[in-house]
Amino acid sequence: MAGSKNILFIEDDRPISEMYARVLPKDMYKMDFAYDGAEGLQKSRSKHYDLIILDIMMPEMSGIQVLHELRGEDGQGSPDTKILILTNLAQDKTSREALKAQADGYIIKADIVPSQLAQIIDSLLK
Amino acid sequence: MQSSSRFKRQTLALFFIVSMVPALLVAAIWYWLTQVSPSAMLEVDFSHLVLPVFLLGLLPAIVLSFIFAELLARPVRDIHKAVSQLAAGNFVPPSVNTSRGEFKEINAALTEVALHLQDVISAASSETALIEAERNKLRIVLNSMSDGVFALDRDGRIILFNKAATQLTGRAITEVAGQLAEKVMPFRQNGELVMTRWLATHSGTPDKLGQWRNLELYHSDGSSLFVNVDAIKLDGDPNGISALVTFHDLTRDHQLEEMKVDFVALAAHELRTPLTEIKGYLDIMQHESKSLRKSDRDLLDRSVASAAELSGLMNNLLNVARIEHGELNYSPEVIDYNEYLKNLAPTFKAQLASKGLAFTINVPAHLPLMMADVVGVHEVLRNLLSNAANHTPSGGSVILNVRADRGFIETTVTDDGCGIPANAVGRLFTKFYRVSEFKSTTRGTGLGLFICRSIVDAHGGHIWVESTEGKGSTFGFTLPLSNIAPTATKGDNSISITRGTHGWIKEHSIHRG
Repeated sequence: MAGSKNILFIEDDRPISEMYARVLPKDMYKMDFAYDGAEGLQKSRSKHYDLIILDIMMPEMSGIQVLHELRGEDGQGSPDTKILILTNLAQDKTSREALKAQADGYIIKADIVPSQLAQIIDSLLK
Repeated sequence: MQSSSRFKRQTLALFFIVSMVPALLVAAIWYWLTQVSPSAMLEVDFSHLVLPVFLLGLLPAIVLSFIFAELLARPVRDIHKAVSQLAAGNFVPPSVNTSRGEFKEINAALTEVALHLQDVISAASSETALIEAERNKLRIVLNSMSDGVFALDRDGRIILFNKAATQLTGRAITEVAGQLAEKVMPFRQNGELVMTRWLATHSGTPDKLGQWRNLELYHSDGSSLFVNVDAIKLDGDPNGISALVTFHDLTRDHQLEEMKVDFVALAAHELRTPLTEIKGYLDIMQHESKSLRKSDRDLLDRSVASAAELSGLMNNLLNVARIEHGELNYSPEVIDYNEYLKNLAPTFKAQLASKGLAFTINVPAHLPLMMADVVGVHEVLRNLLSNAANHTPSGGSVILNVRADRGFIETTVTDDGCGIPANAVGRLFTKFYRVSEFKSTTRGTGLGLFICRSIVDAHGGHIWVESTEGKGSTFGFTLPLSNIAPTATKGDNSISITRGTHGWIKEHSIHRG
């Protein structure tokens, strides 16, 4: 399919990212995986991604740092890449305000099932 | 005794002088007789006998003087002795030896005074002993109490401080006596001094009770104490006490509670990841396995329902930890409650249907907008509906009613289940409380309603329950209306956010077409 989109999963919990990847149609999305923040940042710069799914608590470099690196000071970096935070870390009001400027969405892992994530990804990349 | 012997000497001198007058007179007449007509009267010259005659006259005078002086001085001495005894605090009736009327009267009067004083003093001393005994009793009671007690005078200065107060705070009575209570016993709630304001607010109003839970106080070594405080204002107390304060140490309870909450939070967080996977794979199975046998499909559905229940329980555990640590930040936003319930209804309906319960929602078509935290509202609804489902036998019904009322939107959840025993109603919204009658029949942590109350309280609303045992319960809560007009909400924000119960997605990030 011509409209195949590139997705990068940056998630240190391998079974979790594999689980989510499983529900995403392979013919629509081309998926890459990174298992810590530093690796994720490096991969994100090696090729264009339409969507980066980003965990927060990770070794080497946290998801928040990766987000700041990608979006830059002004929050305008990588404008063609959507960034969806997928974490089990509940956010407070302050971090929500801060993340709103740079991320396109914030999802609590435990509160959704893979099919719901597929719908969200679908709506972001349609 | 000195004064009475002086009196005796003076009396003696007086009598002596007075007695000397007739002696001198006799001697003078004798002398005159011998001089005027010595020869006419007598041939013998008696002039040389003047001195002996004078001395002879003086003798009885001296003797009489002694006798009279003694007669006068004795009762005076006795009176002096008696008065001295009285002055020394020895209230014995005097024994004045006299036959003279005046002295008898004085004696009687003194006897009366002595006896009266004896009565007064014995009465007073028994009263003092009584007061002393009472004071001792009070001291023993105060000092044997495990709760700290202190009293304040009208200026708010400490005038009494019991042993427990010293043990709990590390402050000796000598350090605090006469000090302002707000300085040495600064009870705080969220950093604010509560007692001071109370004392000031109710100054002049007697018998006002003040009660505070979980106030913080610093021990003299700098560590924190958590105490419950009861205080009462007194008016016109004879000992000058204007307020009496009792505080109960909860520090250990508090520490245990904190450990419990921390442990629960840690456990819940660690369990979340595997649970996410269980829920995830069950979801994948539901979607991928189209060809399951009906019995297998049933098992799968049960697993999904249980995983959802477990997920709900863990959310409650985490929420309590956040509430306890003050980390549960609600961000109220404008909610179209009608729309919101329309979206959630199918999920709730399915959950109740799986328990064989009918679910009805009654929402007015034109409902004002609500100002609340989306996740918070969902938590309250989820908990109340889950409780209704757990306590209503299959075949029953659950009704959700919504109406706008005086600046709030009121939501009630009514079931026709087992109801709640009257004695449990008062404690229903407290943490870890579970109705003992339900412990064997239903699962639960005793946290759901505590969380509901915390969320509703944080919004300035209130939550309540009406229940009849055996007939069912109605739980209700109010959340504030938004002051934004319904038309002004859509399309005004440059970045609008679609916020669900599981997070948020930026509206403009979603491609349309």
